[in-house]
Amino acid sequence: MTQLTVVSGGLREPSSTRLLADRLAASATRHLSAQGLSVTTRMVELRPLARSIADAMTLGFANAELEEAFETVASADGLIAVTPAFNASYGGLFKSFFDVLPEESLTDMPVLIGATGGTERHSLVLEHALRPLFSYLRAVVAPTGVYAATEDFGVTSDQPPLDDRVDRAGADYARLLSSCGQRVRRSAFDEEAARMERLLNP
Amino acid sequence: MSAMQFGIFSVGDITPDPTTGRTPTEHERIMATVAIAEKAEEVGLDVFATGEHHNPPFVCSSPTTLLGFLAARTNRLVFSTSTTLITTNDPVKIAEDFSVLQHLSGGRVDVMLGRGNTGPVYPWFGEDIRQAVPLTVEKYDLLRRLWREEVVDWEGKFRTPLHGFTLAPRPLDGVPPFVWHGSIRTPEIAELAAFHGDGFFANHIFWPGSHTERMVQFYRRRFEHYGHGTAAQAIVGLGGQVFMRRNSQDAVTEFRPYFDVAPVYGHGPSLEEFTAQTPLTVGSPQQVVEKTLGFREYVGDYQRQLFLVDHAGLPLKTVLEQLDLLGEVVAELRVEMDKDRPAEVPDAPTHEARVAAKESAA
Repeated sequence: MTQLTVVSGGLREPSSTRLLADRLAASATRHLSAQGLSVTTRMVELRPLARSIADAMTLGFANAELEEAFETVASADGLIAVTPAFNASYGGLFKSFFDVLPEESLTDMPVLIGATGGTERHSLVLEHALRPLFSYLRAVVAPTGVYAATEDFGVTSDQPPLDDRVDRAGADYARLLSSCGQRVRRSAFDEEAARMERLLNP
Repeated sequence: MSAMQFGIFSVGDITPDPTTGRTPTEHERIMATVAIAEKAEEVGLDVFATGEHHNPPFVCSSPTTLLGFLAARTNRLVFSTSTTLITTNDPVKIAEDFSVLQHLSGGRVDVMLGRGNTGPVYPWFGEDIRQAVPLTVEKYDLLRRLWREEVVDWEGKFRTPLHGFTLAPRPLDGVPPFVWHGSIRTPEIAELAAFHGDGFFANHIFWPGSHTERMVQFYRRRFEHYGHGTAAQAIVGLGGQVFMRRNSQDAVTEFRPYFDVAPVYGHGPSLEEFTAQTPLTVGSPQQVVEKTLGFREYVGDYQRQLFLVDHAGLPLKTVLEQLDLLGEVVAELRVEMDKDRPAEVPDAPTHEARVAAKESAA
């Protein structure tokens, strides 16, 4: 059983970010299933967690609801992370979630990145904002991400349709995830304790 | 004295009273701390612990000076710290200060070591925060040797070597102060405490009980692993924080304006949310008794319970009233905590008991 967790940082209802997240999840699932894997997906919407995330930032600990979202992310075999582009970067709520997520949660995690925006001029937000964030968190970021501008959800003729880009990203991601092998989850608690044990017992 | 010790720990902060806008002077805050400690003894508490900070808005940069003064003005109270910075203090100075304090107080002193949570303190004292863990291990190792060995020859990475050094004065009755290791977040400190067979104090107050449970149970397992006794025999202390009035709604109404803007948890979750998630109890003395008795369910029978009562800008008069109520709470907790306490669970460590243990072992 392969578990995909999808994090959507969209703020509106309905949300084009959520729409893109769902399509990426469906595409990844299709391609993973084609490899014979059995896939389940779980969705983490950040908007209902907005206050919990702010509280965790000031308090240093998460409430039960946010803790559950952390677990849904950290226990996954793969993550699909999608944010709206705000002011030339990821949305603040999206960044805040990953700021309060416990250390090591994303280590070795295959991640498919996506972003949405009002115009296609912001498409490089994937490369200059999302990719370095997840690289820093020691995730394995898939080379192909998907940026969707508002007009991608309509009809355009001068570029590949969104469906094709989503399909290609899902295919690339499925290949990456399966070649990463079984993910071994890491625990900052256990690693800190083990480090101290080595210091005390040289 | 019962099997457990109960007391208070102070951060030593100067915080404006949000209901009046008044900020105490440093002198007022220090003298208020003295009044609070004296009151703690008067109402029958066992322990007073002070924090150590080296920057405003705190006034507790010199804990053993304060505790020496308090020792002279009290007869029974045991003094501790919350915490003494093992990373940035010189272990020789810690050993000297606490040795003298032991003699002056007649053994009414122990020490809680911690790393500190203020980054700039490291460079102010010539240390590197990135070395916090190795500093802790090396300095504590030296501190132990200074207290236990007559003549110390020592070389390490972080301090000038010692050759032919003898601590003066030697610990009272040849028994060093009991050491607790205090931690908010990291299992490293639990491992250190377990390795040495020392006490482990979980700050407890800023985190959900589930986190404290994991830390304490880890410490207990490791205490047993290192051969100091069974997991149930490990020495555990917990923080807690309370605000009480006879009528629980009065407590909530009076404390809310303090809670809402408190330096640590203000401007965040509501009082109700925070009390549901952490050990904070705002209500009647009976509610405090009930919540505190519940701590045992996740950490096991333990040795020391300290409460934070002089926080969030509460005026001295209010804090002293809190201590009157806390005295009543503790009287009931002593009885209840002793019920069903397994025989193998040790009593809280005291100087007298440690001297007696040393003599019977000799």
